[in-house]
Formats: sequence, structure tokens, C-alpha cells
Amino acid sequence: MSVSDRRVREVFIELSDTLVDEFDIIEFLERLAERCSELLGVSACGILLADHHGVLNLVAASTEGARLVELVQLQNLEGPCLEVFSTGRPVQRADLRAAGTPWPRFTQAALATGFLSVQAVPMRLRDSVLGAVNLFGEDVGPLDDETITLAQALADAATIGIVHQRALAHHEIVTEQLQTALNSRILIEQAKGFLSHSLGRSVDESFAIMRSYARSNNRRLTDVATDIVEGRITLTA
Amino acid sequence: MVHAVTACAEVLSAMGTSFAMTRNGGPLEPLLASSPGAAELDELQFTVGEGPSVDAIANGAPVLEADLAAPGAGRRWPAFSSAGSERGTHGAFAFPVGVGAAKVGVLTIYRQQAGLLEPDQVRDGLIFADAVLVLALDERHGMNADLDEVIEAAFTARRAEVHQAAGWVAAQHGIHVTDALARLRAHAYTSGLPLHQVAADVMAGRLRLEFDRDNPSPTGTFDPKDEGPRDANMEQEDE
Repeated sequence: MSVSDRRVREVFIELSDTLVDEFDIIEFLERLAERCSELLGVSACGILLADHHGVLNLVAASTEGARLVELVQLQNLEGPCLEVFSTGRPVQRADLRAAGTPWPRFTQAALATGFLSVQAVPMRLRDSVLGAVNLFGEDVGPLDDETITLAQALADAATIGIVHQRALAHHEIVTEQLQTALNSRILIEQAKGFLSHSLGRSVDESFAIMRSYARSNNRRLTDVATDIVEGRITLTA
Repeated sequence: MVHAVTACAEVLSAMGTSFAMTRNGGPLEPLLASSPGAAELDELQFTVGEGPSVDAIANGAPVLEADLAAPGAGRRWPAFSSAGSERGTHGAFAFPVGVGAAKVGVLTIYRQQAGLLEPDQVRDGLIFADAVLVLALDERHGMNADLDEVIEAAFTARRAEVHQAAGWVAAQHGIHVTDALARLRAHAYTSGLPLHQVAADVMAGRLRLEFDRDNPSPTGTFDPKDEGPRDANMEQEDE
């Protein structure tokens, strides 16, 4: 493993802290994506959730490159997360340059972005799969078992984040929570576009500005996004 | 839209289904209902200012109440829950109609029997809410999408670039994001381009939507409550 157990413990404590006060699902998932990259020794991470149509949607990505590759995966309906979502089992491809890829368009996009290996683990809740966590490496090679186990634990943490504070007894409540997470993501995208126009910056720079504003003012990211879109606050670059 | 609301009532074996509108997340106004009973319950919620639909729009998440006669519902909505159960309505399920900050209303399903919706029924409710969203957005510009288009639109509605473009257009024209989304859809419809392509063109600066011929460069003053009548003289140049 590439990081100390101490750091792993710190991250789980950090994640459980976010679950308690002023919880914001998108901030939680964005942070989780960043921590996944760090703890698992991979270059980037993307988190995808299924909606009520059974279609996967991107809810968080640790880098712009990962975001673009995820979108290629979703638009072409091929890639490791779609496979994980349908089988419920982890998928690993240690060298994307190897012949016989099951996902040619995904692989092409990943290689073009500089990723050489990919893993995906399911986000499971009992017998259903809610989504998948996608890990991208700039190096060739499989992740060891211990790292895969940690990846699954982080994916489970993401699941808990989504269904948190609710009785897990009812599936309809899970649907409701998923809906909230997906809708929050859309709100963030609207605010990114809005800020991008008003600040004359790229959407990614706008997102960074919005996040740092939320953090320094100790506010929930989705609340800040709402205020931006409703014209109640004006951020400066 | 009334067909969608009526179909929803049938599919979910409801006493009635209703759609109430909001202008950009403001107070709800009952618009249509599949039965007089559902219309009455909607009116009641908005008169007393409480109920599942009111909460659904405030929280931006579905509110699923298995039994209005149960103590939990009584505490949450003291006036509405007793009035509802006196009228023989027990299940009340409210689904927000909107995406992100673009809120157009709430779809509410009232059932005589107590008990939660089955997971498949919750999914059906969400899908109907998506369909009503598309119909409500398109109605503003006199578009009448057929069923296939509505289903297609509901599936592709979540693409990130579409919502970034809606935010962009809202900032550019000083309009609400709901109207920006409706106008992106109208442009896609009239130009025959896929919505995500229109969105990508807007974000790349290749396309600038012009909305108002009398005032081609709207000022930056932003008051969401102030717009809307402009819809009436929507642009024609896309055709």
C-alpha cells in the first residue's frame, strides 16, 4: 500500500465528520474522489450514480481528465463502470494498451488523457448496485488485493454518504436520496455555467472558485450554487 | 400535460394526481388535476401553506407519505393531514418537477389506501415528473413534443453541458435558469439540432441565443420575478 494506515484512518474520520454537520452530498463525493486518488495511489477518480431510468450519471471527478473520460464512457455506453453496474463485481484493466479491449472508445479516450490502467468497484447497497467508483492510473499494472479492499471500503463510504441519516429499510428512500444527489449535481453544473459567464473563466475554474468560497464561508456547496444561480450572491474571480 | 397527469394517476392506481406550478421556486399554484378530489387537496395544501407538495418543492426532493392519518404526518402537517384523512385520502406522494435550480412545480399522487409506493412505483413517479418537466418547459414556447421525444428528452436531460449552458444563458441574458433551459430546448427543437449540441455551441461561444428582437442586448439586471412576459414574443429567427 502506498499510504500509511494512519492516513487511511484520518480520511475515514474526515469523511464521517462531513456526514455529521452541514452535510453536502456533492462536496462529500468530490472530497471522496480526491481522497480515493490519494489513498489508492491512482491518478484520478470518478464517481457515477444510477438514476431512476437505470442510467449512470457522473456525480464527482477528481480531475478534469477523469471527468472527460467518464463522459465518453457515459455517452458511448461502454466502459468499466457500465460493466460493474450490470454485474455488481469489480473490474480491472491493468494495461489499457493491451489488445482486445472490451471498450474501444472508452480506452481511446483514457489513453488520450494519459491514463494507462483502470479499475472500477461497485457502490452496493444490499442486493442492489447504486453506482460505481472508477479509478484511473497513469502507470501500468494491477492494484494489489489490499488496495482493492480499501477501494471497496471507500466506495461503501460513498454509498453511506448518499443514504445517510435515513433508515435503510426502504428502497424508495434510497431512490429519493439518489435523486437528491443527482439533482444537486445538476444544480452545481448550472452554477458553474452561470459563474463561467459572469466571471469570464472556464467552467472548471468557476467550480474551483465556488468551492473555495463555500469552504472559506463555511457554507454548503449546494446552497452557494443556489445563491449564485438565483443571483443572490456575486463571486469575484 | 393533462394526459400525462391522468396517465400517472392510472399507472399508480391513485385517487388522483395533480400538478401545481411554481414560478422559479416561489409559491405553488394548482394548475391541473386528474380528479376533483386531487384538485381540492392541492388547493387545501396551498391554502394552509403546508403539506407534502409544499415540502417537496422546498427540499427539492420527493416527499413520500404512507399515511396522512399516522402521528408522524400529523406532527409534520397538522392542518393538512387531518383534512386529507377526513376526506379519505391516506397516501400522499409529491415529486418535484425540475432540475437543479430550474423548478417548475410538483407532481402529487393522492391515494385512498395507506402504504408506501413500491420501488417500481417510485421510479414511475420520477419518470412522470421528468415527462411533466419537459412538457411544462416546452409549453412555454408552444412546442408539442410527441411521446417519444418526451421520453428521449427525459433520458438525456442530465447531461452536464446542458445544465452548464442553461446557467451560462441565464447569466448572459439576466433570466432565470428555468427560462434559459426552456429556450435552449426551443432552439434545439426549431433548429433540429440535439440539445447537447446546442449546449456545446453556446458554451464554446459559437452560438448566442437572441431572445428579444425589441431589445437585442438585454441588460444585466437580474430579477427572476421580473421576467416571463418576454416569453410571449419569443424569437422567431431560429425557424
